[in-house]
Amino acid sequence: MKFFNEYKRQFMILAVIALVIISIFTAGKTIKIAGVDDALGFIITPFQGAVTSVTNWVGDSVNGIIERKNLEEENKELKKQIEELTSENERLSLYEAENKRLSELLDVAQKYQDYDTVGSRVIAKDTGVWYDSFLIDKGSMDGIKNNMPVINAGGLVGRVVKTSAAYSNVYSILDTRSSVSVKSARTGDAGVVTGDYELMEQGLCRMEYIDSDAEIVEGDEIITSGLSEYYPEGISVGYVKEIHQDENGLTKYAVIQPKVDFKHIDTVLVVQEVQDKPSGAEVN
Amino acid sequence: MINAVVTAAVLIVNLILQSTLLQLIEIRGVMPDTMLIIIVSYALLRGQNAGAAVGFAAGMLYDIFFGSSIGFYALMGMLTGYFCGICHKNFYRDNLVLPVTLSALANVIIGFIIYATGFLLENRYNVFYYVVRVIIPQAVYTGIAALVVYRILYGINKKVEAKEKQRRKLF
Repeated sequence: MKFFNEYKRQFMILAVIALVIISIFTAGKTIKIAGVDDALGFIITPFQGAVTSVTNWVGDSVNGIIERKNLEEENKELKKQIEELTSENERLSLYEAENKRLSELLDVAQKYQDYDTVGSRVIAKDTGVWYDSFLIDKGSMDGIKNNMPVINAGGLVGRVVKTSAAYSNVYSILDTRSSVSVKSARTGDAGVVTGDYELMEQGLCRMEYIDSDAEIVEGDEIITSGLSEYYPEGISVGYVKEIHQDENGLTKYAVIQPKVDFKHIDTVLVVQEVQDKPSGAEVN
Repeated sequence: MINAVVTAAVLIVNLILQSTLLQLIEIRGVMPDTMLIIIVSYALLRGQNAGAAVGFAAGMLYDIFFGSSIGFYALMGMLTGYFCGICHKNFYRDNLVLPVTLSALANVIIGFIIYATGFLLENRYNVFYYVVRVIIPQAVYTGIAALVVYRILYGINKKVEAKEKQRRKLF
């Protein structure tokens, strides 16, 4: 201890240099500290899960008491909707069967496939204010791998960036570190959806690099284009809310209202399929 | 030994609460950084060495769970603890002014570093927006939270020190 106190300053300088080098080299990579990661996960994530369950339960109960009056009406409304959706669903499954038969005849692969998914709970959110990432309670033990897309009933939520034994870390599409290549479902105009800090708090994100000639309009549905490394084609992302011209005059950008309500997200589905497409760099 | 165990428990409990319950007191996307308050408090109560060690451990914990690189927050935490520890010698423990101002100040400085490394480099140039909407509100919120968190840590530290004294007498 005496030795340490004597050389405190030198020791600190060494530690600072070492940490700067390590953090630069590990930036943007998913590096696990063998053992430590998993061990801490086993200790901490069960508590996070428990606390989140309790807070969700309390929140739901309080809401339940407040909104009891509306519930009956909502129930009626929902029953009506279920009937409508069931009939529509029946009609659509007939279409699907027909589509399958016809594509088999034409020998074309199905464009929008069914994916195996694993349900998972959101147990904790990033403690900082700068990013929008969260932890889910399934990890590599449940077959989750890095870069698996994460969806919700509504649409695309994000991507798994790090898996540990008992938990995984997910970047939402609102996070500024995330980017998804997308297209407009109606016109096929391509772009890239990225997080934007100024929009993040309102639960919105930004679609960039849209050609200025593109015929995209407000209200268009945006889906994943399948060009990116991680996301399969045809997952719904959201709707165009506003369109603006970029300063360079060559491209436009759009504000996207995601389908998923990121403020109240407690369960997600992890798509059990890693896209094995080569990245652009590898193609060249 | 007792101190190390208690400190580890404090850091882990803080991470659990900060990532779950504390999300409920979020105001317009801003939350107090209780991890930073813990680092500042330890540095003030126990000096530079303890401050730097706790800062490193707390930052590493964050890096492991949420960080986009290993070592960045560990570095921030370590430096915060080290520099705040300078005030340890002349620090009157019942005085709340220093923990509050240092927590807020550290929050502003770290906020700027995160903005500069993570956002400015990605062509997000409107510094004004980030200062007014994120950095200053968070610093104020952290300062207010420091009033409570410092009190708790002060109490815990008092008990730990009493235990340590007992042990010293035994041997």
